[in-house]
Amino acid sequence: MRDRFQTKSFLERGGFGLLALVALLVFAFDVLPALRLLIAALFPGGTFNPDAMLSTLSSRSASSAARATFETALWSTFLALPLGTVMALILGITDLRGRRIASFLFVLSVMISPQVIALAFLHLTGPASPILNALGLAPGAGSANPMLGRGGIILVLGLHHAPLVYVVMSAGLKRIPLAVVEAARIDGARPIGILTDHLLPLLRPHLVGAALLAFVAGIGNFGIPALLGAPVNYLTLPVLIYRRLSSFGTGMIGDVSALGLLVAAIAIVCVAASQVLTRRGGVHLEDDTPLKPFWTLGRARITAEIFVGAVLATTLLLPILSLMASALVPSYGMPLSIATITLDNFVEVLVRQDVTIRAFANSLLYAGGAALLLSLTVVPVAYGLIRLMGRWRILAISLVEISYVLPGIVLAIACILLFLKPLPLVRVSLYATPWIIVFAYLARFLSVALKPVLAGMAQADVAQEEAAAIDGARLAQRLFGIVLPSLLPAAVAGGLMAFLLAFSELTVSALLWSAGTETIGVVLYNLEEAGLASQASAVAIVIVAVVTVAMLVLDALGKYLPEGALPWQCEPHAEDQARMNAFHAPARSPAVSRLEPKAALS
Amino acid sequence: MKRILLPMLVALMPAFAQAEGVSGNLVLYTSQPNTDAQQTIDAFKARNPGVNVTFVRDGTPKILAKLSAEFEAGQPQADVLLIADSVTMEGLKKEGRLLAHEKADVSAYPAGTHDPQKFWFATKLITTGIAYNTKATFKPTSWQDLTKPEVKGQLVMPSPLTSGAALIHAATLTGTMQGGWKYYEALKDNDAVAGGGNGDVLKQVAGGQKLYGVIVDYMPIREKAKGAPVEFVFPKEGVSAVTEPVAILKSTKNPDAARAFVDFLLSKEGQELALKQGYIAAHPAVALPEGYPAREQIKVMSFDAAKALADETKNKAAFADIFGQ
Repeated sequence: MRDRFQTKSFLERGGFGLLALVALLVFAFDVLPALRLLIAALFPGGTFNPDAMLSTLSSRSASSAARATFETALWSTFLALPLGTVMALILGITDLRGRRIASFLFVLSVMISPQVIALAFLHLTGPASPILNALGLAPGAGSANPMLGRGGIILVLGLHHAPLVYVVMSAGLKRIPLAVVEAARIDGARPIGILTDHLLPLLRPHLVGAALLAFVAGIGNFGIPALLGAPVNYLTLPVLIYRRLSSFGTGMIGDVSALGLLVAAIAIVCVAASQVLTRRGGVHLEDDTPLKPFWTLGRARITAEIFVGAVLATTLLLPILSLMASALVPSYGMPLSIATITLDNFVEVLVRQDVTIRAFANSLLYAGGAALLLSLTVVPVAYGLIRLMGRWRILAISLVEISYVLPGIVLAIACILLFLKPLPLVRVSLYATPWIIVFAYLARFLSVALKPVLAGMAQADVAQEEAAAIDGARLAQRLFGIVLPSLLPAAVAGGLMAFLLAFSELTVSALLWSAGTETIGVVLYNLEEAGLASQASAVAIVIVAVVTVAMLVLDALGKYLPEGALPWQCEPHAEDQARMNAFHAPARSPAVSRLEPKAALS
Repeated sequence: MKRILLPMLVALMPAFAQAEGVSGNLVLYTSQPNTDAQQTIDAFKARNPGVNVTFVRDGTPKILAKLSAEFEAGQPQADVLLIADSVTMEGLKKEGRLLAHEKADVSAYPAGTHDPQKFWFATKLITTGIAYNTKATFKPTSWQDLTKPEVKGQLVMPSPLTSGAALIHAATLTGTMQGGWKYYEALKDNDAVAGGGNGDVLKQVAGGQKLYGVIVDYMPIREKAKGAPVEFVFPKEGVSAVTEPVAILKSTKNPDAARAFVDFLLSKEGQELALKQGYIAAHPAVALPEGYPAREQIKVMSFDAAKALADETKNKAAFADIFGQ
């Protein structure tokens, strides 16, 4: 087959409008914020002054926050890595029952925003735990909640990020040809031997990639250390940035940019390293059937099922139950019983309080609007990237990742820097309008929404387009007549995924909200900070419900989507699709063939 | 035409007549908990249905930080401020950010509950004392008790970086107690922690994670009434107090509605709402909510507002330094 990615085919000619669109989006959403941050940190007050940045970075609070960030991210990675890997192996190669639903639930736990998970774990343990109290297991009064502080942050980060590892490892497993297993079997190898001698060595690059991803996610996480660390003064860099900026105002923005740059630098280096490592030495799945479960567990199956059940209970079920229990008591600290049970907190947040109702509406609108805009742009952007950019596409795709890899709080600083003053020429200010939040969402989730479409675009057959082009169809006609219909489900899926992540996020809007533009994430954090823990739990339960529904919709869309679009799919959804992909496998470009399902950094 | 139509409309619709012609949007920046802010707005809107009020809630220092960013961006969003302390209001007044409300009726209030030039008006008295979990065996009665071994590792406080009341509290205690900041050093030596705001303190004490907390009065008193296992103490040396003043920003886009809002808070009805919410109302004729001692029995420690304003940054820094923030 002709390598149409090295030589310019006639399809690649023209389309400058489309290229300009791609370039504009990449510049506005990725290059511009990053550049603005760099300038603010290096040129405080308009003159080049790296000393100011260095003195900020070497201050006592900055260095202790840097240490806290580093150690929580590191230790949580050591927890997430084995847990996520074991889950990926059990669900990927054994004959465990209910693999699909287990996979769905495990990934659901990472789609729920970290602050909701942190709140849930906070309420699960400690002397006030409604669940532990109902069981008579609660620790005595005066004993600290074990979730507060370093240990709690590490545990919750680790559990929360295990599904990220799971997603990367599952994708890795799917890239191993079934032939590897079959060949080993013919040689008489037992399943455990196949795993250790054949699969694990092949998975090594993914293991490293997953570890780096979990580490980066830990570095940039805001919700978990904000809820579990701030009350006991154990601050990580994102929380320190938030606290400085929210308590001292924008006068601190130079200092805070320097801190943000530090976090961003760590994150970008790790992600770049993971990309290089997973790309190098990966197995190439070409004209081969992907790995299928081959390990018949027999009597051990029930043990494996109990393990998976226990993991799901810890990461999802128990926290949500404890949220529910906290939401059902009149005041935090009271035990849950028939006598104390009340729906008052739900009524308060869903009916009486304008601000929570408005925040739900805002979040639906901003996340939904951003998701809609994204799903409208991703198809032309993906087309431009794959068909028109030649080898520049690798650079462009990497740039698109920048805003996603930047911790949300750092992206928010960049947006404040960009939009605090009225825009030049038009003299319109975006600060204190919904647009600043929507802009940040577009920037942050562009790569999330783009991913399934890029995958679909890379799998799309070019022959039809060539035929249309020969018949004289112009770019717009080809785009709308041929490419768009086949990529529409992927665009919808990408948009929904962006919606899922944007809906309950806190890390971006924490610094960008203002009167009337509060998001539901902000309201949840605010209620918790104001001491209204029961109401915060009620909001959290509603968030979980919305996210679950959105995920179910996505799951139902699954059969129309390109393979690998949904991170929780543990096996090819349709045999014929797999066969089709096998036929056209060489059509994948090297930059895109490595696209893994997007894991939810926050 | 408008001149004729409007009075006609007002005459025809009793609801508008009652609204005193006030309408439009009003943005309130407040440090009240969400529930209280919403109730206050609902009560105001019942009397002024033409006004659409939105609010932003956060700790006073955070509200101020947000506001200063908006000043910088040249578009302050707030019309009315209802925040913890008059010291902050004095600061804003000096910067020329506030609008005087000369027609405000303050005849019922003693001098000192409002700014003489009517730039800000106290709405409540919020004292800071000690809360403890009912499971605690040692029951503190004074500020000095908090430095005792019985309290070691069990005290949680709000941070002046998050709470306006906590800032005034620190200024009051360091101003009146012997040794000034040494008292806070002693608390730190007793392993006290200071992280978030009063809400955090309430949660930790009610939740039993810490047995003792320094906290504003209404939170534990109100939660106790709902059944939470907390008790509030007015320490024998006295309590520090903030007055939750209200003020109108000079940049307001709707001065009429803003004045109506201030008038409502200062009215008997507004003051009785504060009582119903569990606060000590500023109006001397309004009774105290249940769970409080009589008004005259609450001993408020004296404090130097001018000094607190001058020392604001220094005090924040001193506190942050001791408690590692």
